[in-house]
Amino acid sequence: MIGAIALLLVCQLAGEVIHRLTGLPLPGSVIGMVLLLAWLALVPRERLTLTQVTGWLTAHLSIMFVPAAVGVMEEGAILSRYGLGIVVAVVVSTLLTLAVTALVFRAVAGRDEPDSEKEEAS
Amino acid sequence: MSDLIATPLLWLAVTLVVFEAADVLSRRSGRHPLCHPVLLATPVLIGVLLATKTPYPTYAEATQVLGFLLGPAVVGLAVPIWAQRATIRRLAKPLACALMAGALTAIVSAVGIVWLFGAPAEIMASIAPRATTTPVGMAVAAQLGGIPALAAVIVLMSGVIGAMTATPVLNLLKIRDYRARGFAIGVSAHGFGAARAFQVDQTAGAFASLGMALNAVATATILSVVASLI
Repeated sequence: MIGAIALLLVCQLAGEVIHRLTGLPLPGSVIGMVLLLAWLALVPRERLTLTQVTGWLTAHLSIMFVPAAVGVMEEGAILSRYGLGIVVAVVVSTLLTLAVTALVFRAVAGRDEPDSEKEEAS
Repeated sequence: MSDLIATPLLWLAVTLVVFEAADVLSRRSGRHPLCHPVLLATPVLIGVLLATKTPYPTYAEATQVLGFLLGPAVVGLAVPIWAQRATIRRLAKPLACALMAGALTAIVSAVGIVWLFGAPAEIMASIAPRATTTPVGMAVAAQLGGIPALAAVIVLMSGVIGAMTATPVLNLLKIRDYRARGFAIGVSAHGFGAARAFQVDQTAGAFASLGMALNAVATATILSVVASLI
């Protein structure tokens, strides 16, 4: 358990150090993710605890960004001025991204998978 | 008594109680995207802070341990990516093409539209990572000179809209392949999309998780490159 947590923190720390030393503009945590990926590839073995710890973190992601979301209370001026533009941008961009991603995937992958025969639910 | 007011103990307790209540309501709603616990809990907490005249920085400092966990959570996204390495290798071409197309579409369309509305650079920086998972979106927005809180809310909105519209939109486009459907939801609407995809189909859910994780890296990388060029 502690080992898995330590691995995550060390990867993040190394990511932050790389970010500061090299000026690589990726956030330290994202560099840390790539480092962990490299570690998993270099040291292949069963990692039940790591999977449990990261699964727990991912499952509880929502509450971790509540304090940040509450921070919009300080952004009232921006929201009242540009709120409409932001909403339009988010709606259009979300629908467009959905369509483009799915269409490109289908165009490149072809339609040869058994999954494609299934009826779509809901 | 009054020395309790700025402590992590008070505000963590309040946050957890409000969140848990929101989570119960969310479960009762059958996990409807509009009843996401963050959407329910955030306005309540803002109301509590306003009613008690607590400045946001006091609250932010008291609850920073929650935000701290986001870092290790982002690092941990490597685990699901690694677990799906066989799929990634087998479908490398469609995944890479769809990921690049989706990531670029999300960034360009969102930034372009707020630009048309005359928004300043800090709003463009906050909306650029809208399709990534929240912690990555906040980190990237901060990096680009945006507002992390605004980025968090924008990412949440993307998730709600994506989760609610994915099924009708993909049906309209006659996309029947659950790999394409799931991947598109994950790329466009991160964890919210993945949660929705898992309700429909296991394959779609797995591909949505993969789309979320890969797009976190893709969008962060694209925006970092763009930022270093400007």
